[in-house]
Amino acid sequence: MAVHSPVNGTKSIPWRGRSRRRLSLVEQIRSCQEAWCPGAPWDRDRAHAAVHGTAAGSFLIVCDSSTSRPGLLCVCTGEQDGEVLDFMIRCTDTVFQLSQSHLCFSDLAQLVLFYSLTRDVLPVCLSVPPWVHSVNEMNGDHLEPSELCVFVFFLFVGFLYKTKQSPVYFLPVVGMWLISEQEAEGGTHREPVNVMCSTLLTSTNGALCVINPLYLREHEDEWLIPRAASQQSPMQMSVLRRERRLSTTRSWAGSALRKNRSVSMDGEPTASSSENSGVISSTSDDPSLLTDDGVVLRRLSKESAMSIGHSTESLSLSFPPTSGSSTPELQRHNSPVPQSPHRVSWIEDGIWLPPPRLSSPLHLPSLELDSLSVSSIEEEQEPQMQNHGCNHPSAHRLAGKVMHRLSAVGQALGGLVSQKKKLTNRVVELSERKDGAFAESVKDFLDLVLKKGANPNGVMGSEFLQEVRSMLTSLRETLFDYPEILAILEGFTDLNESEIDSLVEVSLHKVTLKPVSTHIYTCIHTSRTSDGTLDYLQSNQCALQLNAVDELGGSADVGIPDSVTLERIQQKWTSMHETYSPNKKVQIMLKVCKSIYHSMTANTSSVKVFGADDFLPCLTWVLLRSDLITLQIDTDYMMELLDPTQLQGEGGYYLTTLYAALFYISSFRPRLATRQLSVEAQQSLNQWHRRRTLHYNQSRQNKNRRTIRGQGRSSVNSSTKTAEGGSDECQQQKEDDSSTDALHTLREEPQRVRTQTPDHQPETTLNAMDRAKGDTHSFHTTGTEEREEDL
Amino acid sequence: MALRELKVCLLGDTGVGKSSIVWRFVEDSFDPNINPTIGASFMTKTVQHQNELHKFLIWDTAGQERFRALAPMYYRGSAAAIIVYDITKEDSFQTLKNWVKELRQHGPPNIVVAIAGNKCDISDAREVPEKDAKDYADSIHAIFVETSAKNAININEVFIEISKRIPVADAVAETPGRGFKLGRQASESRRMCC
Repeated sequence: MAVHSPVNGTKSIPWRGRSRRRLSLVEQIRSCQEAWCPGAPWDRDRAHAAVHGTAAGSFLIVCDSSTSRPGLLCVCTGEQDGEVLDFMIRCTDTVFQLSQSHLCFSDLAQLVLFYSLTRDVLPVCLSVPPWVHSVNEMNGDHLEPSELCVFVFFLFVGFLYKTKQSPVYFLPVVGMWLISEQEAEGGTHREPVNVMCSTLLTSTNGALCVINPLYLREHEDEWLIPRAASQQSPMQMSVLRRERRLSTTRSWAGSALRKNRSVSMDGEPTASSSENSGVISSTSDDPSLLTDDGVVLRRLSKESAMSIGHSTESLSLSFPPTSGSSTPELQRHNSPVPQSPHRVSWIEDGIWLPPPRLSSPLHLPSLELDSLSVSSIEEEQEPQMQNHGCNHPSAHRLAGKVMHRLSAVGQALGGLVSQKKKLTNRVVELSERKDGAFAESVKDFLDLVLKKGANPNGVMGSEFLQEVRSMLTSLRETLFDYPEILAILEGFTDLNESEIDSLVEVSLHKVTLKPVSTHIYTCIHTSRTSDGTLDYLQSNQCALQLNAVDELGGSADVGIPDSVTLERIQQKWTSMHETYSPNKKVQIMLKVCKSIYHSMTANTSSVKVFGADDFLPCLTWVLLRSDLITLQIDTDYMMELLDPTQLQGEGGYYLTTLYAALFYISSFRPRLATRQLSVEAQQSLNQWHRRRTLHYNQSRQNKNRRTIRGQGRSSVNSSTKTAEGGSDECQQQKEDDSSTDALHTLREEPQRVRTQTPDHQPETTLNAMDRAKGDTHSFHTTGTEEREEDL
Repeated sequence: MALRELKVCLLGDTGVGKSSIVWRFVEDSFDPNINPTIGASFMTKTVQHQNELHKFLIWDTAGQERFRALAPMYYRGSAAAIIVYDITKEDSFQTLKNWVKELRQHGPPNIVVAIAGNKCDISDAREVPEKDAKDYADSIHAIFVETSAKNAININEVFIEISKRIPVADAVAETPGRGFKLGRQASESRRMCC
């Protein structure tokens, strides 16, 4: 007890039970403070020498020589050169914080504990050696820093295991995520304001608790009301869903929960008054306060509670000051469903204490709170998962009760991504469920799509894709009938209707579009080949590629992407093609558009506003340097498979522009540009030509025979054959050399047939070449005129 | 308050100041909750009209003659179109008339048409008399304003007038510019049947 500093908010916490002499980890850390914060003779250099080359996270805190207060945290990064980094510690009478961080702690031990669990601004988490765990008040006072370091070095992993399995209660941390009021308002004043962190909530199953004050401010405590989703009937769920559907405000979840509260806590007008008051606490050894979900409610010392109340109050009026009346309030809340005092996400110690890989110390951020996917815990709370059994009964009970809180906080902590993943996982699970309606529908969908495309006479092109689209829509609607999906969706409190729809839509893609995307690509390719688009794209790409942006219609002074940006754009196009979800494709496409726009304004001296007049030409310019075939396929894919409601916004606009630019290229009439055909165009024409030539050769043979008949019989016949063979060979070679030649050979062939004699052959070819220059054009124009008719 | 998304399409010759008008309209709006858009060719701004919020989704089009055939892709589904001409260029006014014709023939039914004679700040070089344009606009029942994106004249007025002419939400169900909400309710009722 003697080691407690006066500013320690936990001084009077009675949770070091009378019968137990075991200390909590923060106390243990505190009790051996001399080992990691050795005081006077130790300075920065000495600390560096001691920590240098030890395991990642080994640390020492040295005191400022003038103030004798902790001033510098020296942490070994564990990298090869054993580098040691310094972090300034700012300390006042009441708070300790790292100067780069806004997290404040009421004492140094809490700071150390916090940074041993999550690294925040540090490169690695601090490592606390295992022996600290066995420290009691008697043996904690005579430790040498070197001893600490050595232990850190050898026993770090053991520490984690031991703690995990040991039956003692483990101290969790409540950190307040600190965003100042000004930042929250998005105002101009961005001076950060520090908020006190409270680190002293605990439970028997050792939960790590994190509070986002912003979240509290927004939602107060509505979301705290326990509501086990698993207990809700599907009927109730769909009622909730309907409410949500009809609601236009963001606070639908809150109202739903409030409604729920009125069920469980009828006639309790001031139910949330105590919950608004920062951290609530009670006595752990009081059986009446030991809730049935295994949470031991702790009481904060009065001054600590006051200080927290004060600091939050100064930031936000939505927190009434703590009055110390929390305990009676809490008791009232004890039935029928106990109130957890935590506005928190709960993270089981088993989850947040996997042994870190010492081989790659910089991998330690996996222990971070943010990256600790909340969803991994939620898995346990899913009604379904519970059937699989859980070894930890108290955690199990807890799980059901805090599920909705987890969802809410998960999002607040930036767990949106994991929530989305979770949704997708759930959809995958549903699609694999035997005899499930959704699974059946998915199977039908896949069968239908694969069959449709396989049938060459079947529906092709956009009609086929539109059919796919409508099937996706009905599958999505089916998902809303599943309570487990609705339960997850409730976590997304800040999203509106269409955002929720698009979320569900995206989660659907993995089971529907992923298996068939390649097939759909093939179908689009076939369809676009047969309508000639791909051919025109390719030939016009060559014709237009040399044009500058102003020749494509843009302003002469507009900037264009440099080669590096262009290279990056190509990579993005590639990854866009690899993605099967049309929504994700659109996201990638928007990134490309953004970088084009950036180039337009960055690479120019002009200050004018560039609108569509310039963007479309610039995009066209970029497209001409990209794989147009693949882009056309991806564009069709997005255009037809994206939920139509998504087409009005920015994604829809730029997708339309992409489509328009491709259309412009494919329908371009290169009348003026044909005289200089590029090599690629020549090759593609060559391909085209060869097919015709082979065909023509056959008919020519017949003609030959006829002509030969008119001449002397046997000798001429044989010589003609030879000559013909020779001329074929020659022709073939020429085709290989130059498609222009080949092209003209085609045009000249009737003449050649007429001329007949082998001797004339070279001359004919020369004639053909002479004419070549003029004829390429006429040939090409013929092609485009056909196209014009199509249009 | 109900939020309605209204797609507005910008048409007109290149260089008449379409993007400048939008830029001017959008620049004074500061909504930290909305991500800034990628560029000036697509911009949004939400304004209040009576007891509704109108979120304008403004689609700019490329005005060059060569891109003319692409315009239908853009004005499809628009609740309104702003056709811009340059008062100092008679040609751009003729182009405007062609756009009006095209919208009549191929545009969405009931599309609200607004005509904006831009660059009214340089009326010395005026080629299109205001009265001619006004008479023409009246004859086709279009909104008419002369604007200056440069001096921020009448920019907001264009959009205010559009808001006024957009049919009220209940009657708007069949028009292409309908808000999302109605569509949602439709799907909702379907779900309730199950």
